[in-house]
Amino acid sequence: MSYQLEPGTPLAEYYAQTTPRVGTVLSRRNLGTLDAATIGRYAMTIGATDPTHYDDAAARAAGYPDVVAPPNLLAAIVEWGVGTPEAELGPDGTPPDGDMPLGDHDLGLRVMGAGEEMELIDAATAGTDLILEVRLEALAPKHTRSGPCVFVTTSNTFMTGEGKALNRNRRTVVLRNPLPEAR
Amino acid sequence: MTISYQVGDTLPPLKHTATPFQLFRYSAVTWNPHRIHIDESHARQEGHPGLALHSHLRAALALRSVTEGLGRNWRVTNVAYRLRKPVYAPAELAYSARVTAVDGDHMTLELIEQHPGGEVGFEGTVCVTRTPAATS
Repeated sequence: MSYQLEPGTPLAEYYAQTTPRVGTVLSRRNLGTLDAATIGRYAMTIGATDPTHYDDAAARAAGYPDVVAPPNLLAAIVEWGVGTPEAELGPDGTPPDGDMPLGDHDLGLRVMGAGEEMELIDAATAGTDLILEVRLEALAPKHTRSGPCVFVTTSNTFMTGEGKALNRNRRTVVLRNPLPEAR
Repeated sequence: MTISYQVGDTLPPLKHTATPFQLFRYSAVTWNPHRIHIDESHARQEGHPGLALHSHLRAALALRSVTEGLGRNWRVTNVAYRLRKPVYAPAELAYSARVTAVDGDHMTLELIEQHPGGEVGFEGTVCVTRTPAATS
């Protein structure tokens, strides 16, 4: 039997609001074109020095059509395009309707990453038009050492503009109630 | 020269110091506005002792230990990881990858993130396949 969230808590409200969306496609949208600057900056930030991330000639010599992204770049980007205006971000900075359903900002839930499974079907290279489809796969209420929480799992498929899958991810985050002093 | 790997082989560990500055740059490049990574006073309001490392940054560092340890003759095809505990900047981290299965041109490795006190913060598995250029 699954863990029962305490009625009246923000987590219980989130769970009730979000459960009907389990199994549905939350969004399918065009992300634009993956560019070489994003790939190079991501590689620089994580300390990856392979020239195939920065130098198109090195990438072509290695068999790619252009500079190639480090393996988890697509999964790591939170907002594509210009992003959310600051006034519309939640108190914790999260966007109101991102790829992960985090509930209404009024609930004040705390979120952290919990894990991921990635299938890297093909390399993501500069110049690729990207489409992302996000499906809400599961909500799992649990009680952990730090108290009640809900594990939220989405499946994210990144595709080229022609619909060829590049990367399939199952991503899980953990949501917790706000701290008492924060309410 | 093609290097053969056997079960139990360990790739050179990746040692890394994660700094608040790196967290800022990682938030910027991934356009991630979550304040627990960049705003220490907010992170403390949420009960964290400091700025929390992004889960994807930790995964990226773990994957570097594989891609840099194996070189371009191998390509990552699958990754799975689970975060056992959060990490806060600044943090001295060590990522290791150990071969757990070899099947022709495919290998599976165990990934571990270790903290200075010896705690494991992150564990996972990664599957790699030899690239066509390496097999020809």
